[in-house]
Amino acid sequence: MRRGLIARSFVELPDAVFDARLDRVRTAMQGAHFDALVIYTNNTRPAGVSWLVGFVPYWSEALLVVPREGAPYLVVALSFRVKSWIERTSRIGEVVHTPRIGLKAAQRIAATRPDAAVGIVDFDGLPAGIADDLREGGPGLALRDASALFAVLRAKADPAEIALAVRAAMIAHQALIAARGDTLNAMIAGVESEARRLAAEEIYIAAAPDLERESRLMRVEGEAALGKTFALRATVAYKGTWVRLVRCVCQHSIAQEAAARLAQAVASLPSDRGFSGFRSWLVEGARMAQPLDPLIGSRLNAAKPPPPGALVSVQGMLMIDGRTVLVGAPALIGQSGETASLIVDPLFD
Amino acid sequence: MLAEERRQRLLAAMREAGIGYMALYGNAWQGDYLRYGADFGILEGHGIALISAGGDVELFLDSAVEAERAELEAPLVRVHFAADIVRAVGVRLDGVANDRTAAAPRRLLPHWLTDAARSFKLADATALLDKLLMHKSAGEIAAVRRAARIADEAYGEFRRAVRPGRRQFEIVADIEAHLRRRGCPDNFMIIGSGGKDVFGMTPPSARQIAAGDLVTTELTPAVEGYFAQICRTLVVGSASAAQRRAFGVFVEALEAGIAAVRPGARAADVARAENDVFRKHGLGEYTTSQWTRVRGHGMGLFADSKPHILEDVTTVLEPGMALIVHPNTYHPEVGYIVLGDAVVVTELGAEVLCQTPRELFEVAA
Repeated sequence: MRRGLIARSFVELPDAVFDARLDRVRTAMQGAHFDALVIYTNNTRPAGVSWLVGFVPYWSEALLVVPREGAPYLVVALSFRVKSWIERTSRIGEVVHTPRIGLKAAQRIAATRPDAAVGIVDFDGLPAGIADDLREGGPGLALRDASALFAVLRAKADPAEIALAVRAAMIAHQALIAARGDTLNAMIAGVESEARRLAAEEIYIAAAPDLERESRLMRVEGEAALGKTFALRATVAYKGTWVRLVRCVCQHSIAQEAAARLAQAVASLPSDRGFSGFRSWLVEGARMAQPLDPLIGSRLNAAKPPPPGALVSVQGMLMIDGRTVLVGAPALIGQSGETASLIVDPLFD
Repeated sequence: MLAEERRQRLLAAMREAGIGYMALYGNAWQGDYLRYGADFGILEGHGIALISAGGDVELFLDSAVEAERAELEAPLVRVHFAADIVRAVGVRLDGVANDRTAAAPRRLLPHWLTDAARSFKLADATALLDKLLMHKSAGEIAAVRRAARIADEAYGEFRRAVRPGRRQFEIVADIEAHLRRRGCPDNFMIIGSGGKDVFGMTPPSARQIAAGDLVTTELTPAVEGYFAQICRTLVVGSASAAQRRAFGVFVEALEAGIAAVRPGARAADVARAENDVFRKHGLGEYTTSQWTRVRGHGMGLFADSKPHILEDVTTVLEPGMALIVHPNTYHPEVGYIVLGDAVVVTELGAEVLCQTPRELFEVAA
């Protein structure tokens, strides 16, 4: 349930950005002989549709249909009353409202070509009710998984997305600086308030209130006692782009060393060799629809290394001078021959 | 304690239905089924809980950070991080394919798991879970009641936050910060501001509050996962005669709706009571789906639970149900107005949980 600012910026996301992304998708569709591409979105899995048309559902669900020719259209379960809001906040020519989005999308596609080849991003993960309705609405349609096709295109960030990620990272940084007060809840309130005032689309705050006792991060309900060292993680969305940033409140020299070791480890990405000294670590990024999909890390068996040019969020746990330290920040994977780099300083004074 | 109570109720229902394994799906939009069985409030990615008739609960999550959080927040559950959650759950269900397996809500489950080619067949247990979700225990109602108190306080903060020149998202920032300060981790909130040009509420925009605006909000904080909602409207400056007249219709409709809440009544009766007031005032058109979504809904582990309060919903109200009655809709003279109170169905009728007066509040212009 999104509660932050959802507004389209014609400066940060002009039409040309969306047009270029759509052109790349259409070229790939032609290569795969797809007549249409279907991408599902809800507020947990918005990263495919928001990347193509800017639409972020605060509630409910939708399917974006990209025909091989003609304008994309959005089939939404949201009611007609929010049509103007959808049109204001995204670049979409036509919005179709129906409670059975799979049925309507299939009927529209089949009306053009009853035996159309339809690529579906993350077909396996598509809600069963929608998959059933797609089959009912277009019994002659050939439904195929288009995850690999889409992931190749989605994973690499273009300049507009990099700029949004930098903005999201700056919001997270300023928000974490605003973690002040005597209690953990006061600090969390400060972070929440600052991020939303700076126009975050969403923020999730997790805390490890006492790193001497527990290094895992949780969402705080009620009040939690603060230890001598603790950590806060801000997961911030800004216009469809998500980043994570960690602030560890500990001795400054230890935080400095942790930040330096994170930067050094990031520089080796997409190789994982830089993380050998970490107790645990994780690299996440957008592949298809989930904004921060786990890609590589100490808990992942099957790795999906980020490609050159991908935006990722990196976090890890270190032991420095016998102390547990959490550190994390977003990074940009270099193009061929370039070194990956953090896009915001994970250090807080 | 609430989690254990829910688990026991679920196991009893599974036994009665002859279900050996139950798969409960959840994501941040619709997380109530998952939370009921696994006591985890999911924020990112997919989550699927597998509950055995013997009482074991396994929770599969495809987000590594969520898996870490679940290990801490749901310590009685066996957590599995599985980047390919669909296959991981499939492998687990292959191992119990000889048992009777079911899922809720089956329509949201990743479709690969419901494909006919699987070794297991997941029956649809959504109605079974819906019944559990709607009929709350005393402990669950107590959590809703606490959430309603927080909603009242948050609306007081909302009235303080609304000032001319402020942008909608800045007001929401104040409310969310207020809730975090109170230790309340979750809230569903939408907002509207303006006049006849406003047809509903949405997430906040950058629109500035102006003198004369009607400012509407639906605030829905959660306690231990249980949401309670309040809907109110305020005016920036002094309310006009038209605004007061229009608001009077909503007060009358809300009172009529709440009066219709009693055991044995149907959700449709509540909606009809609200809508009849609008029809009496010549505003029947504004009770249709073109202008309004629902005339209220259930509350609990989801902010928008069943039953939906609509004239074609025949769900019978019973003690232990929690609802919001809200005749929110567009008024042609002044714009969109909201007014709604959280209630609990008791043997005697409705117990109103919200204590904020049913006023058209005024704030300084």
